[in-house]
Amino acid sequence: MSDLPAVEIRKLSKSFSGVEVLRDIDLTVNKGEVVSVLGSSGSGKSTMLRCINWLEEPDSGSVFIAGQRIGYNSDKQRPMTNREMAATRARTGMVFQSFNLWPHLTVSQNVAISPIKVKGMPKAQARDLATQLLEKVGLGDKAEVYPFTLSGGQKQRVAIARALAMSPEVMLFDEPTSALDPERVGEVLQVMRDLSGEGYTMVVVTHEMEFARMVSDQVVFLDKGLIIEKAPPEIFFTNPASERVRRFLDRQD
Amino acid sequence: MTEKAWMLLLEGAWVTLWISGLASAMGLVIGLAIALLRTARIPVVDQILAVYVSLARATPLVTLVLFLFLAAPTLGLSLDRYAVAIVALTINTSAFNAEIWRTAFLNFPRDQQEAALASGMTPATMFANIMLPQMIITSLPGLVNEMTFLLKSSPAIAIIGLVDLTRVTNRISAVTYEPLPPILAAALIYMVIISVLLKLQSLAEKMAGRLAM
Ligand SMILES: Nc1ncnc2c1ncn2[C@@H]1O[C@H](COP(=O)(O)OP(=O)(O)O)[C@@H](O)[C@H]1O
Ligand SMILES: [Mg+2]
Repeated sequence: MSDLPAVEIRKLSKSFSGVEVLRDIDLTVNKGEVVSVLGSSGSGKSTMLRCINWLEEPDSGSVFIAGQRIGYNSDKQRPMTNREMAATRARTGMVFQSFNLWPHLTVSQNVAISPIKVKGMPKAQARDLATQLLEKVGLGDKAEVYPFTLSGGQKQRVAIARALAMSPEVMLFDEPTSALDPERVGEVLQVMRDLSGEGYTMVVVTHEMEFARMVSDQVVFLDKGLIIEKAPPEIFFTNPASERVRRFLDRQD
Repeated sequence: MTEKAWMLLLEGAWVTLWISGLASAMGLVIGLAIALLRTARIPVVDQILAVYVSLARATPLVTLVLFLFLAAPTLGLSLDRYAVAIVALTINTSAFNAEIWRTAFLNFPRDQQEAALASGMTPATMFANIMLPQMIITSLPGLVNEMTFLLKSSPAIAIIGLVDLTRVTNRISAVTYEPLPPILAAALIYMVIISVLLKLQSLAEKMAGRLAM
């Protein structure tokens, strides 16, 4: 099992009302790898990420999470039931641009609820887990407050702890720092850097070039729904094969 | 007013309270069930519920009470007056509540739902733990408002001979020949009940405000 890729995307295509947003995407993310996904706005980055946990259902192609196909029950040759779907999604963690915390729950409850309700973890154990994860993201003192009292950077770190609580095979980040005040970006990137250091598998849609350059094992560039470049950062940023990527990088600094 | 008159008045208040209270409670649950069924958009069922809601909302309560009272026997149902009153009030209020619940459901933030699904919750787990608790808080002001409406239209049940808080004032003045004191006392009791509800409503609004981050 352990040598299976954390995520494997095969021939993924997706249209919205007749407009092709993803075309024949192939991507393999190995265990422990960090893959950054770059591309200009509207190129299909979010859609690709959301197809990995089936928040968006692709028109064709398949996605495997640690060897298990998502969305389709291969043994029984039929689409997954809600329950099977949920169990497969639980193996991925997602961090959204706008945090999407649950405002009626305390920070600690936000982190603990899925382990309790989805995995059946005893409450005391889930609370301990939440405490430990909140300390990991530097928010040990915020466990009992409600999300509305937090800054954007703090909310996003709670969201990361919440995703980690399910011990996912892969963490999916969709522009996790784009909604933050500039002075709050660093604290979130630091947490993500720490995670990569601990060997977490991550797919990160981002506009943070520095992060992509320093932390990624692979950089993927999407253009109009196509992956037009896939390379390690030292090649991607210095000697990209495509003219389109070169122009994109020129515009960044 | 004599002590006897006050006793009668309180008995009337009790009839108003328990009938409206029971109908409100059932109306909350039935309204939620209708709202959920409607959001599932099951063909036919959805249309039937939509018609039910429009009809129940469009029919004056007095008319509905009288209609049920007269129609029940022809349908072979032997309902006593209290049952007819409760059913009528429940039909009325559940239709209004269904719209309140449905609005809360349809307006529920999509991104919170996605976070729940992404973390591995089934739609049912998500509904019970993420949506319903917040829907209750956001709907409470509207639901309490609807309770006060129901309470204020409940004198309609007098049309089939039930003696509620309004009707009883008639009985009292028939004996005392002084119509004003009992109706004033009744108005006072209505105000007390409704002010308790309004207190609850402002509490609910405060809680709802906290959710809007
Ligand atoms: N739910 C949707 N319905 C219709 N069009 C959508 C939807 N989501 C995304 N799109 C369109 O698909 C394209 C790619 O979107 P997206 O994946 O969000 O791009 P990116 O994340 O790279 O900015 C855009 O043109 C966008 O307007
Ligand atoms: Mg996007």
